[in-house]
Amino acid sequence: MSFSVLLRRWERRSVKLAAAVGGVVALSAVIALADSSATKAATKHIGGSVTVWAEWTGPEQQSFEAAITPFETQTGIKVNYAGKPSGTMDSATETAVKGGKPPDVAILPDPGTLRILAADHALTPVGPIIGKESKNYAASWNTLASVKGKQYGVWFKAANKNTIWYNPAEFAAAGITSLPTTWTGLLADATTIKAAGIAPFSLCTDVGWPVADLWQNLYLKSAGPTDYDKLAAHQIPWTSPTVTTAFNLLADLVGTPSDLLGGTSGALSSTYPGCVDKVFPAPGSLPQAAMVIEADFVVNEINSNSSNYTPGLKGTGGATCTADASKTPCYDFFAFPYPSASDSTYASALQGAGDVATLTKSTPQSRAFIKYLASPEGGAIWAHLGGFTSPNKGVPLSAYPDPVTRADAKELVDAKGFVFSLDDLQGSWEPDLWADMLSVVKTPTAANIAAVEQTMQAQATAAGIK
Amino acid sequence: MTAATPEITRFGGLHRAPGRRRRNLASLAFLAPAAIWLLVVVVYPCFATIRYSFYDESASRFVGLANYKAVFSTDAILVAFRNNIIWVLVFPFLVTVIGLMLAVLSERIRWGTAFKTIIVMPVVFSATASALVWRTIFDLNPHVGVVNALEQTASDFVRPPGPYPVDANLGQSLAGLASTGVRPDGHGSLVSISTVNAGHTVELGLIGVSPQTLALLGARTARAPTAAPGVIDGLVWRDFSPSHPGARGRVYPDEDGLADLQVSLLRTGGSAVATTTTRPDGQFKFANIGPGSFRVQIDAQNFTSSFGGTFWLGSSSVTPTSGLSQTAQALLSVPLIDIAMIVAYLWMWAGFAMVIIAAGLSSLNREVLEAARIDGASEWQVLKRVTTPMLAPVLAVVFVTMVINVLKVFDIILNMAPGSSQAAASTLAFSMYTHGFEGGIHSGLASAIAVILFASVVPAMAWNLKRIRGQM
Repeated sequence: MSFSVLLRRWERRSVKLAAAVGGVVALSAVIALADSSATKAATKHIGGSVTVWAEWTGPEQQSFEAAITPFETQTGIKVNYAGKPSGTMDSATETAVKGGKPPDVAILPDPGTLRILAADHALTPVGPIIGKESKNYAASWNTLASVKGKQYGVWFKAANKNTIWYNPAEFAAAGITSLPTTWTGLLADATTIKAAGIAPFSLCTDVGWPVADLWQNLYLKSAGPTDYDKLAAHQIPWTSPTVTTAFNLLADLVGTPSDLLGGTSGALSSTYPGCVDKVFPAPGSLPQAAMVIEADFVVNEINSNSSNYTPGLKGTGGATCTADASKTPCYDFFAFPYPSASDSTYASALQGAGDVATLTKSTPQSRAFIKYLASPEGGAIWAHLGGFTSPNKGVPLSAYPDPVTRADAKELVDAKGFVFSLDDLQGSWEPDLWADMLSVVKTPTAANIAAVEQTMQAQATAAGIK
Repeated sequence: MTAATPEITRFGGLHRAPGRRRRNLASLAFLAPAAIWLLVVVVYPCFATIRYSFYDESASRFVGLANYKAVFSTDAILVAFRNNIIWVLVFPFLVTVIGLMLAVLSERIRWGTAFKTIIVMPVVFSATASALVWRTIFDLNPHVGVVNALEQTASDFVRPPGPYPVDANLGQSLAGLASTGVRPDGHGSLVSISTVNAGHTVELGLIGVSPQTLALLGARTARAPTAAPGVIDGLVWRDFSPSHPGARGRVYPDEDGLADLQVSLLRTGGSAVATTTTRPDGQFKFANIGPGSFRVQIDAQNFTSSFGGTFWLGSSSVTPTSGLSQTAQALLSVPLIDIAMIVAYLWMWAGFAMVIIAAGLSSLNREVLEAARIDGASEWQVLKRVTTPMLAPVLAVVFVTMVINVLKVFDIILNMAPGSSQAAASTLAFSMYTHGFEGGIHSGLASAIAVILFASVVPAMAWNLKRIRGQM
């Protein structure tokens, strides 16, 4: 994590605290609402306590605690929540399981650790416990939490990576009235935006993960979720034509340096979240580019960088964004495009990430808690507080605070073919994979793509899959 | 080292008096905690690392020398070797020379102590903080990085930027700017495609001009020129209309003229007849011209780009690498980030070198220096022929200490190199870290790198220890 990120987070803490106080006030109303809703999960009084670990700290921890308050009041179970620092949840859980002192419920940030723990018989299958609540999820979500046909986890929080965020004012200045749905259409729009004298894309490719997210979207939309999962499991070689196709699509973008803010070297020195701020700047500075390609967590950055922005969404009753960004600065997204009009088979496939709750110790209390997490009740509360999208179909879209988050959540639950971020499933290979992706951004030639594919295949073979 | 007495080093020997044995036991009892501590945290990990270096990535299967083979056949790790070699060749020498200069100079000035304090300060700063400061100093954006700001100032002085800069580094080109009636002439200017005679008009459309640039230049709505006898009337305008984003070649009401452009009238042979500047509405006029055909040129100076910044933190090499194989590139390229990091590291360590050398300097026999001066030696000669040779032992200690220091260089790479150039900036220590602890955990490979790193530090370390012993 870079220094600027740290610094900014530190600055923001005060803003977030203020927001949290406001959130608590709003909360009592929400809890009352949730209590009276028909989606009540557990009403039986049980008592006792449950230990829960997850990676949510700060404002996210407050939102999570708010989301589980109804559970505590209904069941009399005390939830002892420990928020682990970002990036430490997997190893902390594995260590605790090996040491024989796991928490009751561990909410893991990716399915990799779930698979390892399930293979070690350290998890209790959740299928029989949650019963019909499993129907709240699309089959692909449940499959993603399953090992050898048994479901071991419940997805509670999700991230949608199927998004490209744009500044509506810049699109208006370039005269773009309909949002692109195809990759070729997007690149054509980029040419128009360029003609208007605006840089189309602000990339975040100082590090490799943003370009991996981008490439994975391209692969998913061109090769489909089945091949995507096979590639993730190393059942398809990295030298196969589908991989080349996706790299060529990437090269269509990064091979045109004038499409990138600051050209190639500008893209290679642009950090996340600075790349977001260049499209959605704080008051007093002008936007430098029209679009940023990243997941829905971009919204957190827009709002923490400036509280001026209104979520605006065309056709869904959101605020009307005007060409004059100084009056009503807005943000909005469109779904990641499919390759072309003739290649739209996987248009509704979606790449994402999420946090999955697992039963590391089976007690009456932890079983009740897992069932509660699988119900829409807790998700609806957090959804209302913001900064949250749920993969749970039972969470009503009306629970989300604004039209943009609502559309984001709708994309997530409507997705046909959900896949998890591929790089996060590669274990020890992930950093090298990121470096390989960056190499294509630096040199997007056919020769280099072929060389990178060879390298990746060799690395994937050497790494095996964990 | 100095405290090692014969009683301790030779405990357990034969022919000992009982009293002496008791003394030995007492010494042992006092030494035991430290000895056990060392065994647990130094000796055991050393041997464990050597053992792991022969095992696979999860330390479960013996693989012989495979990890060592991988170290010397993986391009990414060869890059680390190359960088270590660059560091060792360049840094200790430079820091010793700079330290010597500073030490000698600080003796000559009135506020020597204050000067020394300032120079030494970076030594007490956290290495991470220093690296982050230098990352900002070398930032690509001239508005952030002071190095690029200086370069920009100098460059803009020599080549003032035009009102409509076209920067090839940003992927921009004149051809991308030309839209209607103009094309690049190959020498940095745009020239009208068709010829024009007096009494006619000419309309030249450009795209890719940002509304912000136009606002800054005070541009107004473009108006089509009207023909007048004996005069060439013309317009240069922004050929992009937000209401008709795809349409080119027509002047729409929401299009602005390009203000402040320098345009020239060329004879068909190419020589300039007249030069003028466009008005805020993009119009220009050439009057009093004779008969014949002309072309209108939008001069090159309009498009001179401002200096965009050197990507000091990037991986582009200062040595030519085109046409080389991947492995040869790994071994032979010298990335800019290495230079930036070495400069930063010099700033961090020059104070340390200066202090050690100044201490040596103050214990020199001044009479020799005086004698040299009386014999007519210049200050430079005194420094070169007398001071430096007499200081040689101290300089050697500084040099060798710095060799050890840069063999292990790590924190500056993690904190100063942006993620996209960390692979190019990697050293053995950094490579060991990424393989051992960052996502991609391969304890065998990381251990093998650690063993090699250790082995390369040993000679320098042994030399230093020998010196310290020799001085006692």
